[in-house]
Formats: sequence, C-alpha cells, structure tokens
Amino acid sequence: MDPERTDVPPDRPEQAMPPPRPRWVKALGIVLALVVLAIVVMAVAGGEHGPGRHVPGSGSPAGQAPPAQQDS
Amino acid sequence: MKPAVRKLALSAHLTVSVGWIGAVIAYLSLGFAAVSTDDTETVRAAWIAMEITGWFVLVPLAITSLLTGVLMALGTKWGLFRHYWVLISFFLTLFATVVLVLHMPTVTKTVVVAKQVEGAALEALGGDLFHPSIGLVILLIVQVLNIYKPQGMTRYGWRKEHSERRP
Repeated sequence: MDPERTDVPPDRPEQAMPPPRPRWVKALGIVLALVVLAIVVMAVAGGEHGPGRHVPGSGSPAGQAPPAQQDS
Repeated sequence: MKPAVRKLALSAHLTVSVGWIGAVIAYLSLGFAAVSTDDTETVRAAWIAMEITGWFVLVPLAITSLLTGVLMALGTKWGLFRHYWVLISFFLTLFATVVLVLHMPTVTKTVVVAKQVEGAALEALGGDLFHPSIGLVILLIVQVLNIYKPQGMTRYGWRKEHSERRP
C-alpha cells in the first residue's frame, strides 16, 4: 500500500493484545477535560455565561427590563 | 462505498465542514463589530446579522457536516468507532452541533432586546463571542485530526479487525 495515502487505514501487523491508548489521545483528553471544567466553573460561579445573561426574563439576576416603547 | 460515491460524499463533507469554519469566523467578526462600536444601529445590525447567519448558515452547515461525517465513516474502512481520530472527531462535532442548536434561541431573544434598548443596556448585550470562539477551537481541532489522521485504534476497532482477518 502507498504509505503516502491517508484515505485508507494503515496495515497493521498481527498483535496479540489490543494496542495501548495513544499518548495524543490522553493529552487531548486532558486538554478537553480542562476546558470543560473551566466552562462548568464559569457557569456555576457566574450564572449564565452567554448573551442570555443580559436578556430580561432569562432567569439571570443581571437581566434588565427593556424600556417601554413610546412609538407615536 | 464505491469510489465515485465516496468522492462525492467526501466533497460534500469537506465543503460543509470548511464552510462551517468560515461561517463561524464571519459570525465572530459580527460579534467583534458589536462590541467595538458605540453606534446603536451598527450594534443592532450586527446582532440581526448574527441571528440570520446562525439559523440559516451555521445550523444547516453543522448538521450537514455531522451527517456527512457519519456517512463517510460508516461507508469507508475507517469506521465510526475503530480509530480514535474518527471517534473524537465525531463526538466533538456532535458536541459543537448540539451546543450551537441550543444556543441560537438565546441569540434570537437577544436580538429582540437589542431592537428595543439603547445606550448602556444595548452595550451590555456584548457580542456573543464566547460560544463561537470555543466552537471555532473545537472545529479547528477536528480539522487537524481529519487531515493528519493520527494513528491509534480503539479496542473495538482492534477486535473488529482481528475478527475480520480470521479465516
């Protein structure tokens, strides 16, 4: 098989046991876990984290009621 | 999957996936415009444009990217659960799509408020930079995984390959 081709899985020699989890998977898992943890901490500590925190009626204590429209 | 069909599916997947990344960057530019100007009409226009871009570009691209990705995985020898880069790409894309779909109603509500308020209240709406920024990082991780396809077979993939190789 052409080693330059990346559109098909590589050939694998026979292995008696399943391969160990690659280091890059563990590293990426740690990074993503830290990101998720940071988001959870932000959400718990700060309430709503998106633009909804400024939207009235969204349940956030930071929400502000819009002024009544005075169209004439 | 036949080669011609596979290439068509791959073309579709690449188009919508890279298009999704471009649309997120465009969405972010609107958000930055909203936070960097004092002009009321510009802020409102940016938010209205973000809502339209979100519902009519980002959401369709995200769903299509997810579906074509699954189609590509299941229709080729890579499979959906056999290789870590495919598995992680799938779950990150699924996560990004779900968060996007759940987030857009908040954007719509914010646009309603943006059309009504002025001054400090309008400024307080910000520019919705958090979600698309995280989303962009996730999409770039998925893109890198899809290009480099780092080696690593899951236990399931290893078992499947061994069972397929047995005479």
